[in-house]
Amino acid sequence: MRIVVSELWRARALVDALVRRHIATRYRGSFLGFLWSFLNPLCLMAVYTLVFSHYMRVGGGPNYHVMVFAGLLPWIWSTSALHEGTASLVSSGHLITKSMFPAHVLPCVSVLSSMIHFLLALPILVLFMLAASVPVTATWLLLPVIVVLHGIFLLGAVLGLSALNVFYRDVQHLLANVLTFLFFLCPVVYPRTNIPERARFWIELNPLALVTEFYQMVLVEGVLPPVGQLVYFGITAIATFALGVAIHQHNREQFAEAL
Amino acid sequence: MTSSSARISPSLEVSSGGAAVEYVIDIINLSKSFQRNSRGRTSYTTVKSSLLNIFRGGARASAPRHVTHAIQDLTMRIPKGSSIGLIGRNGSGKSTFLKLVTGIYKPTTGSITVSGRVAALIELGAGFHPDFTGRENLMLAGVMHGLSREEVLERFDEIVSFAELEDVIDDPVRTYSSGMFMRLGFSIAVHTDPDILLVDEVLAVGDAGFVAKCKDRIAELRKRGKTLLLVTHDLEAVERWCDEAIWLHQGEVKDRGYPRRVIDSYRHFVEKGEEESIVQSERASREENLQQPPTEQTQVEAARWGSREVEISSVEIGSSDTQDKRVYHPDESMRIAIDYQVHSPQQDLVFGVGIHRADGLNVFGTNTEIDRVTLPAIQGSGTIECIIERLGLLDGSYVLDVAAHRADGYPFDYHKSVVHFSVRSENRVVGVLSPKRSWVFNNHEVGRCA
Repeated sequence: MRIVVSELWRARALVDALVRRHIATRYRGSFLGFLWSFLNPLCLMAVYTLVFSHYMRVGGGPNYHVMVFAGLLPWIWSTSALHEGTASLVSSGHLITKSMFPAHVLPCVSVLSSMIHFLLALPILVLFMLAASVPVTATWLLLPVIVVLHGIFLLGAVLGLSALNVFYRDVQHLLANVLTFLFFLCPVVYPRTNIPERARFWIELNPLALVTEFYQMVLVEGVLPPVGQLVYFGITAIATFALGVAIHQHNREQFAEAL
Repeated sequence: MTSSSARISPSLEVSSGGAAVEYVIDIINLSKSFQRNSRGRTSYTTVKSSLLNIFRGGARASAPRHVTHAIQDLTMRIPKGSSIGLIGRNGSGKSTFLKLVTGIYKPTTGSITVSGRVAALIELGAGFHPDFTGRENLMLAGVMHGLSREEVLERFDEIVSFAELEDVIDDPVRTYSSGMFMRLGFSIAVHTDPDILLVDEVLAVGDAGFVAKCKDRIAELRKRGKTLLLVTHDLEAVERWCDEAIWLHQGEVKDRGYPRRVIDSYRHFVEKGEEESIVQSERASREENLQQPPTEQTQVEAARWGSREVEISSVEIGSSDTQDKRVYHPDESMRIAIDYQVHSPQQDLVFGVGIHRADGLNVFGTNTEIDRVTLPAIQGSGTIECIIERLGLLDGSYVLDVAAHRADGYPFDYHKSVVHFSVRSENRVVGVLSPKRSWVFNNHEVGRCA
């Protein structure tokens, strides 16, 4: 694990350059360019608010749309990092087979560039909160801690999944379905009070659901997450990272041949 | 970066002269093999197939897997500052060897130690993104080669001017020609201060002017004590550039040493192999022909027609000293021997020979009538030979036609494409023909060419 961390640190110039390129690639050639970073979650939010709050009436109060937005932003970070990161070794295979390229940089770039999209969308959330007169509280100070833990969790997951995906391309297809499933299982687009009491424990074992709730609590509700849950998520993040790194390290020598 | 993780202290050894020889590449019992399963892809499986394997009770071992040994038990040391030419036929393990040196592949067994920064001119511009400008790609590629941002900025102008791309550096690289693309890739790679330069055939592309510049740059790096590893089919380049040639054959070093000698024995080996494959393909086509009854038909492909009143029983070609030779040098002679059998005696029998290049170009054709040869009355069987004193053809594949017919054209036995042969030379003369010639400068002969 220390090897990977120190290698990533040494390759930081490369990671930095690739993240810049990755962000620039996404909207190159589109008229609205970077605005899509904001428009995508906005459109999603509009759809979910309409369907869940007005058609299906799941409840959630007057600030339902703010809650949905605060949940969607980290969820989009998670899914795009997992999607892109898992496919990253395969889709940039030419770099690994044709040049001396440190493979672990690629999943890292996916996580970081989707994180930057996430961070850049936060000001929009603040605007919404102000418009809905939801106060921005001191609990925002906990945001960096949650972001870092969330990032570590995603990085570990993506390092491991991308390595497995090199050998079993089914991983990326499987993942897409699992994420759709999880999305509706997690209280992102409906209030968590809608989950039956006996199911809640199990839902909250899922780190992706948990971290999404953290953001909603800290950013919108102005409450601190329970310490137990925070600790649980921290341990999960570090364990995932260690496991992901181990899987990646175990297989890295075979990447060039398998791709 | 791989280059920095490979920065291991160089192995030192005291040579017989007493001076320390520094080795930049140290290879001990290196082997590399690839496992390919029956679907032809290296260890690429789906969950489905491996689940199936589990259910079949560990059938994994029994699944048909081919193991290819790309490199076999290689031990060598490459001293600092030397320039090595790697030669060998396709599939001999050259590219695998380079990928092992760069660290893209890991050895199956044995070890390889590389000291210093490696610049690989293998896939130039491998990481370029087509939608980004030359400037953006250059920055990223520089960083990918292990430079810091500041170092890339420092060298930026030099790289661009070397690549001759000042005017288009801010255009997306998808608008670049393949030459411009390659120039940028090459320029970045040679400006990264490599200790070891790996060159894989890349000098084959680019216009003459830029190739000359690349060669100058490589020469300069050599002068500064950098190590060069050149993989190429351009044997002349190996002779000109390298102080040592290594000939790889089926993953093993077949020969190593002074370039001239190694290249000669390699060339000899290739010609022999070529001869065998020509003879084999001819045999196959002849067997096919035998199955068809001789009919009157005109075919461009290997074909035979005629009344067979006079039959050509066999055709053989050779040089003055070798029989049944299929690869010639332009200066060599060629003897075409036609064995015939006369079934019904003829008055005006004519024998002809013709040479076509493999693409159909008619190179040369004549017969005993055109050449005003008076043949004695012919009956029974015998041999007629046409001896070409100097073949004079340039590099290429050729086919020989022979014929026996009457002076009025009535065919006895026409054999089209009866023998295939090829000509190989180091000569860079272009065209089909290399006539004997000399150059005279102000009445003094200055050069003579066979």
